[in-house]
Amino acid sequence: MASEALLLADIDAFFADSHVLHRVSFRCGEGRLLGLLGRNGAGKTTSMNVTVGVLPPRRGRVEIYGAAVAGRSPEAIAAQGVALVPQGRRIFRSLSVRENLAVAARKPRGGLPLLWTLDTVFATFPRLQERRDQYAGTLSGGEQQMLAIGRALMSNPRVLLMDEPSEGLAPQIVAEVMATIRRLKEQGLSIVLVEQNAKLVFDVADDIVILNSGRVVIDATAAELKSAGTDLHQHLGIY
Amino acid sequence: MNISLLLAANSIAFGGLLFLLSAGFSLIFGLMRIPNLTHGSLFMLGAYFGVSLIALGLGFWPAAIVAAFGVAVFGGLVERLLLRRLPGAELAQVLVTLGLSFMIADFSLMWWGGDPISIDTPRALRGATFVAGLGFPTYRIAVIMIAVIVAAALWALLDWTRLGAMIRAGVDDPEMARIVGIRVSRLFTIVFSLGAGLAGFAGVIGGPILSVYPGLDQDMLPLALVVVILGGSGSLIGSFIGSFVVAFLYNFGQAMLPELAYVVLFLPMLVVLVVRPEGLFGRAAP
Repeated sequence: MASEALLLADIDAFFADSHVLHRVSFRCGEGRLLGLLGRNGAGKTTSMNVTVGVLPPRRGRVEIYGAAVAGRSPEAIAAQGVALVPQGRRIFRSLSVRENLAVAARKPRGGLPLLWTLDTVFATFPRLQERRDQYAGTLSGGEQQMLAIGRALMSNPRVLLMDEPSEGLAPQIVAEVMATIRRLKEQGLSIVLVEQNAKLVFDVADDIVILNSGRVVIDATAAELKSAGTDLHQHLGIY
Repeated sequence: MNISLLLAANSIAFGGLLFLLSAGFSLIFGLMRIPNLTHGSLFMLGAYFGVSLIALGLGFWPAAIVAAFGVAVFGGLVERLLLRRLPGAELAQVLVTLGLSFMIADFSLMWWGGDPISIDTPRALRGATFVAGLGFPTYRIAVIMIAVIVAAALWALLDWTRLGAMIRAGVDDPEMARIVGIRVSRLFTIVFSLGAGLAGFAGVIGGPILSVYPGLDQDMLPLALVVVILGGSGSLIGSFIGSFVVAFLYNFGQAMLPELAYVVLFLPMLVVLVVRPEGLFGRAAP
């Protein structure tokens, strides 16, 4: 089953004593875009933390292209080709824009051609090039989001995780971010897009997983959900 | 020669030495948040290593470099085997490093004895150099030059290399740095070793000026502390300027108010701590 870019199976995860993920399972197929939806506190960000190795699961499997990575260090999981655009962006504020990108640079696995370099990231985000020598902490919110995406791309990932990339951005910037996500998908990147805003996700996602209180309540293709007219409000709240 | 001019010249040389000592202390404290109370011991250990290496027939400079390397390895082991297990536990780190400094002091007393040992000034740097008609000890001018070169090299390493950017990223947000794939723990070992090695190097370089004796560690540690608190932890420029400020305070305080030398030294530190706790050049905690 090498066509699974990312697989989470039967994940149980805890913060101290509180049980936050209950047997969570979902998968992202190669070249597909999985939309991960749910209310605040549903376990979306926790699932991302489990995937990148920041929160080792107490039980269950995490696989990247078939390689088991649950319990391994974040560095080792990054080396498997996983990159995260984290919630809140978390750029390195005291580094320049160029340094933020440079520290994340990595060759793609298996001798694939080098897709993302400083030059190609700057070509994709011209604003970053204009500000390349500025401290990242001085960028606007939208620019910081571009930088967080650019930083993730610099590692030439096989699986890109994006945790609420639209959060706190003006509508016009959100549209830019979504256009970027579409382009990345067209290039064949496997993407997990975490969002509270269901509408954004339905526009781009192939598959949808909805979490509620740390459990998977819906796992279907976007097309199925649309044609079935499933009422998602009970899981997502009203937008 | 005017006494205060002589004091000033000595202060500048002592400031250079203090910078070599405290740059590492500042990096370790500022970047890794580890209050490394063995730092004075690493200085003393470097000096004693230098003494032994010179006794074995090594020249002064090779001895200084080998001693620095030895102390760097020792520091790396301390970080890997002890401090690594106490992340974020500052009280535990203080106690472990303090205990270790007592152990190093005991061990040194046993191995090198209780008498002060002087290290000879390298032959080429004996005597005085005349600048504007005034004679300055050549060796002390060399110490100042070494401090300036080390400061420039450290600055270049931290600000201009990818390794330096990775270290700073690891300080900004260690968890995110690891997610990006940076091996933060290995970088921290490098930083700790580098800081330890600089302290050891400073110990040998300081030998001809201070000589080596039991208690040298506890004489040097407070000076490094004051430098870093005045200058701001993690700030190289802060350590550099702080070193010279402290050297002046220390030398002039001892000469003019010998009974109150420590008051002259520590009072400015107290004031800075109360008024500007991040130090003169430090960044406020986010």
